Amino acid sequence: MSKWLPKSAAARRWLGLTPAYVMIGIFMLVPISIMAVYSFLEPNPYGGVLPEPSVAAYVKLFLEYDLEDNLVFNPGYINIIFRSFQLSIMATVICLVMGFPVAYYITLQPENKRNIYIYLITIPFWTNLLIRTFAWIIILGRGGVIETPLLNLGIIDDSLKMMYTDGAIAIGLTYSYLPLMVLPIYASLEKLDFRLLEAASDLYSSRFQIMTKVVIPLCKPGIVAGCILVFIPCIGAFIAPNLLGGGKKLMLGSLVQFQFASARNWPFGSALSMLLLSAVVVALIFYARSARKKEYIQGTA
Amino acid sequence: MPAASIDVRGVSKIYNPGSQQPVKALDTVSLSIADNEFFTLLGPSGCGKTTLLRLIAGFEQVSGGEILLFGEEIAHLQPSQRSVNTVFQHYALFPHMSVAENVGFGLERLKKPKDEVVSTVKRMLSLVKMDHLADRRPSQLSGGQQQRVALARALAPSPKVLLLDEPLSALDLKLRQTMREELKQLQRETGITFVFVTHDQDEALAMSDRIAVMSEGHIQQIGSPTEIYEHPVNQFVADFIGDSNFLDGEIIAIEDDIVTCKIGSESVFEAENSGNHAVGDQVTLFLRPEKISLTHSTDESTDNHRRGKVSNIVYLGNEAAYTVDMGDGISLMAQARPKEDGNLPFAIDDDIAVGYSNRALRVLAK
Repeated sequence: MSKWLPKSAAARRWLGLTPAYVMIGIFMLVPISIMAVYSFLEPNPYGGVLPEPSVAAYVKLFLEYDLEDNLVFNPGYINIIFRSFQLSIMATVICLVMGFPVAYYITLQPENKRNIYIYLITIPFWTNLLIRTFAWIIILGRGGVIETPLLNLGIIDDSLKMMYTDGAIAIGLTYSYLPLMVLPIYASLEKLDFRLLEAASDLYSSRFQIMTKVVIPLCKPGIVAGCILVFIPCIGAFIAPNLLGGGKKLMLGSLVQFQFASARNWPFGSALSMLLLSAVVVALIFYARSARKKEYIQGTA
Repeated sequence: MPAASIDVRGVSKIYNPGSQQPVKALDTVSLSIADNEFFTLLGPSGCGKTTLLRLIAGFEQVSGGEILLFGEEIAHLQPSQRSVNTVFQHYALFPHMSVAENVGFGLERLKKPKDEVVSTVKRMLSLVKMDHLADRRPSQLSGGQQQRVALARALAPSPKVLLLDEPLSALDLKLRQTMREELKQLQRETGITFVFVTHDQDEALAMSDRIAVMSEGHIQQIGSPTEIYEHPVNQFVADFIGDSNFLDGEIIAIEDDIVTCKIGSESVFEAENSGNHAVGDQVTLFLRPEKISLTHSTDESTDNHRRGKVSNIVYLGNEAAYTVDMGDGISLMAQARPKEDGNLPFAIDDDIAVGYSNRALRVLAK
């Protein structure tokens, strides 16, 4: 058998990685390339694309033809993109504000308890996201768990109209991706040398200063990783926006889904996807930079 | 008497009080540390020395008693409210800050003016000879360099007392010996009270003005290095510091300052009377190996002459440790220097004379 293997150790390592490269090639690079090509073609009204080059999909992001066939600025899609970023940033910030104390609390527990808490944090992942998001309709919706008791007690007279709002989408997104914030922050806090906290308090730091001067700077890579892990799926999410936003308050993810499914404008859906992809790549470059700093810091131990 | 910088009054510390297994780390410990003193807490691991240091620093809360810093009760204060700083065993330097930022950390928290912070950091770094590495990160420093930065960081806010928690234990032997001298010199230069925790008797003897020997949450003895070494109050102290011969026996006669003891079945030893002993008391006699002179023929300069047989030799380079069988189940450890040509003076099974003065043999209470 061994005579079939390459001689040099370096070549063998490459051989071992071949399945991974083949997988990434077939299931990632090829589809992305197809999307990139489609985004520059004409749409076929019956679905799919016509093999004619066109930049119409990208033009459509910003401009539209008015009744006299003049190109005019169309803020509609820009607004959707803007709202997507707004809601995703909002969800990320809420996740951070809620997730950091949780991660910090878990870190302070004895080791056997920590594992139980981490296990509990991951439990929601065992159920389909669609089903969990439906649960929020029961909670937030008309005649739901929140409204009914308040109506019966006479505290409110009318429906709170919580469903189909940006707030409902933000709640759904926060709920969906909160564990993705807790886990990386916990991972970096767990490595924190708690003697540094004693050193800081010995050197006249208040509790607040210990947090801002020592704990947060040292677990910044975890915070950045958590923010990116929440932000990326939020910006492409379509389940929470569709179910809790009622499809009227569109986000980028639902818009892409809509172009491929109902609107049958594949080039436009592809163009939107490319836009989304570039946003994600920018976020990842940001993460890679902070990860390099993290290695630098961890060289200490 | 000058004002005590640290006054520990009846301090107890119990971990897990009220639980199934409360651990009594300190049991009503009292001690007073003078201003400008290099004071060492010495003891085996688990003796409570680190606990006492952490109580003074404020990382733990006392279960009872009080701690005074220049007459002011501090036991209830947060660590950040106490004018004492700590050099940690593993340095605990902030990895995300440069050396200069580490040293300036305490000063900035005290809201010192910017130019004062800069000049103090500079002064502290030159004091520990680290000024050329001010911009490095702790991860780029060797253990000894990190140690110096930790010292500079703790000294920068000019604390009233500096606490050092086994700061040399992570360094290798040569560096440890250099740092000993530097620490002692630093203490003299700064005039700050140092409270030094160690389990290393050599460090304690080499640096301290006074030593408190601790064991199982109690202070066994407080005294100068010579007092502790030459006049240990009990067997624990004598055993913990230096090498010792212990002979268990019974007092059979007391005459002026000479106590006569029966050791083994028939051997009789005379020792200096160190206190209240009575005939019939069970006692332990104690004799440092270096106080014993070994010769081929009887050494007339000593009070006692016995003969024994060399049963074991441990060569240590500058000297050799001999185990001498004295008969009657008694064996003594003694030391002898190698001869000028480097050969050892005695060989195994040599019949030799063992001499010591009466004042070298002391009685320890049981």
